Amino acid sequence: MIQVLEISKTFHDSKRGTHAAVDRVSFEVQAGEVFGLLGPNGAGKTTTLRLLATLLKPTSGTAVLNGCDVNTAPAQVRGQIGFLSGDMRLYARLTPLEILNFFGELNGMEPQWRAKRINQLMTLLGMHDFAGVRTDKLSTGMKQKTAIARTMLHDPPILILDEPSSGLDVPTARTIESAIMDAKKSGKCIIYSTHVMEEAEYLCDRIGVIDNGRLKTTGTMQQLREATGKHRLREIFLDLLGLPQDK
Amino acid sequence: MRFPIVQAIYKKEMLDLLRDRRTLISMMIVPLVVFPVLFRVATALTSRIEEQSETEARTLGIAARVTTPSLRAALEKTGYPLFEREDLPASVEKKSVAAAVEEIPGNPPRIRIYVDNSNPTSSAAGDKIRTAIDELRVERIRQSLQNSGVPENVLTPFTVTRTNVAGARKMAGSAWGNILGYVVLLLMFTGGMYPIIDMTAGEKERKTLEAFLASPATRREIVIGKTFAAMTAIFLTAMLTLGSMVYSLKNARLGGKSQEFKQMMDTIPLDAGTIAMIAALLIPVAIFAAALMFTIALFARSFKEGQSYLTPLVFVVIIPALMGGLPGFELTPALCLIPIFNASMMIHSVLVGDASMVNFGVTLAANLVYAGIAALIATRMFEKESVLFRT
Ligand SMILES: Nc1ncnc2c1ncn2[C@@H]1O[C@H](COP(=O)(O)OP(=O)(O)O)[C@@H](O)[C@H]1O
Ligand SMILES: [Mg+2]
Repeated sequence: MIQVLEISKTFHDSKRGTHAAVDRVSFEVQAGEVFGLLGPNGAGKTTTLRLLATLLKPTSGTAVLNGCDVNTAPAQVRGQIGFLSGDMRLYARLTPLEILNFFGELNGMEPQWRAKRINQLMTLLGMHDFAGVRTDKLSTGMKQKTAIARTMLHDPPILILDEPSSGLDVPTARTIESAIMDAKKSGKCIIYSTHVMEEAEYLCDRIGVIDNGRLKTTGTMQQLREATGKHRLREIFLDLLGLPQDK
Repeated sequence: MRFPIVQAIYKKEMLDLLRDRRTLISMMIVPLVVFPVLFRVATALTSRIEEQSETEARTLGIAARVTTPSLRAALEKTGYPLFEREDLPASVEKKSVAAAVEEIPGNPPRIRIYVDNSNPTSSAAGDKIRTAIDELRVERIRQSLQNSGVPENVLTPFTVTRTNVAGARKMAGSAWGNILGYVVLLLMFTGGMYPIIDMTAGEKERKTLEAFLASPATRREIVIGKTFAAMTAIFLTAMLTLGSMVYSLKNARLGGKSQEFKQMMDTIPLDAGTIAMIAALLIPVAIFAAALMFTIALFARSFKEGQSYLTPLVFVVIIPALMGGLPGFELTPALCLIPIFNASMMIHSVLVGDASMVNFGVTLAANLVYAGIAALIATRMFEKESVLFRT
């Protein structure tokens, strides 16, 4: 469902000059699979996911999402994805209902289908009580539910989640984790970035470790264990990054 | 470009900006409250100054060195107290009296009036003296003629009337049309500033832009939807300002001149035609302003930064807007190519009623072209990831 082919992104920066944030990265993700992109800060996770979401244009290489190429059909790609990032916020002066209607319209959802789908998600996530309250008056948990509903609204086959639970407390992070598990069960293709090992170990079918813009390796937990001879993801991760193991 | 998408974006932006207090203040409170209040204060102040100089002149009085009794009587008739002073010019200058009169004996005697024209009190007193003396002179001539049996009509071999061909409407236009265009254009920029920063730098700063950009809406659809919302805000500000100014001016109490002024103001037709012409004139200006400010604000990473980028623009706009209101400019089609300036001049012309269709057309067309260019640049900038994801 997602094929990433030798994708690269180079930034031109006055301080650092030209530097590759993502360097010839290739991997595939199937429908019904959760792929975890694991890497330290600045590794290139966000840049990779932004390339897939067509927020950035690749310097070279490409990616194909559900048959749509990011270089030649960016608007169609965006119709295939639900994109959520940990530091995204909601429109403070709008209500969850207004936000969902707006994104539904952007996704070209027919009014009837939109209303039905919004109602369905609100019931699922327990949002009815605050659907008409401006989001700047909502708790973090309520905001997070709204963000999830917005991501899932148009029932996209692909979910791109960039550290979606960063900065959230355990109960709120749980809402996201269970949303991911539900999506996986319904056959969605999910690509997910994190630097939290436990989360990756628990949620992901396959993991790719990225460092300095290069994808070091990809595989299931079992494959990674065999390749590195380490058991826990934390140990595998340190090994792949060439860092000393814990004492 | 898909119309339903653009419409959805427009709707969202309008909802968002109408719920923003800062935007509402700059869009509505400034034209509807601040401006009329300022105007009231200014006119009240002017008429108070007029009244004050009159009372002050009356208390200070006049220094008079006159011997002829009829002349003294004429001066006394002004109601101003008369005093003796040694040095007449100095006493006026030091404000110990409002003005001074001196009769220099001779054949004929000469009368000299001393005033300090930098001081409105003294000017007013000088005018009073002058009028009194003129009346006396005419009276004396009439008497002399009567005594020598000459008919009185030799005094008026012919009469002169000066007719102002400008007409009342033109006079009203030049009296206040000058500032009107300037204020409307200025407030269009200040009124558009907040909503535009909010929908560009504000979305970046509050981290709502990324989800928007990751939706199937194209960059061009987003720019069009947003610019139209900004244009609506600007246009609304312009119309509110115009309405509020016309209302304030028509209802102004301008002291002694009020009757004359009111009559003048009533000659400005606010019929559908005039309003439609001004509205048509302001639409391309609103698009131009919206797209221009949008492009600039896009470079900012935060609301504060956006403000510091756009504030200088407002000062840049003041110059052509003010120039357009200055008297003495003959509007030619070539001058109609200068943005802002052309609109400022055309608003004036439309109100005065001497707008030429050629100039109107050139202004409209030129501003539409500028609006188009600005919108094109805005779209180009919005497609640049280095602008949207500036770190
Ligand atoms: N818009 C940008 N301009 C310049 N450099 C950037 C930009 N975005 C990211 N980078 C750089 O690219 C590298 C990868 O960043 P990022 O993808 O955000 O990493 P991660 O999400 O893994 O922490 C970092 O060195 C970062 O500084
Ligand atoms: Mg990141």
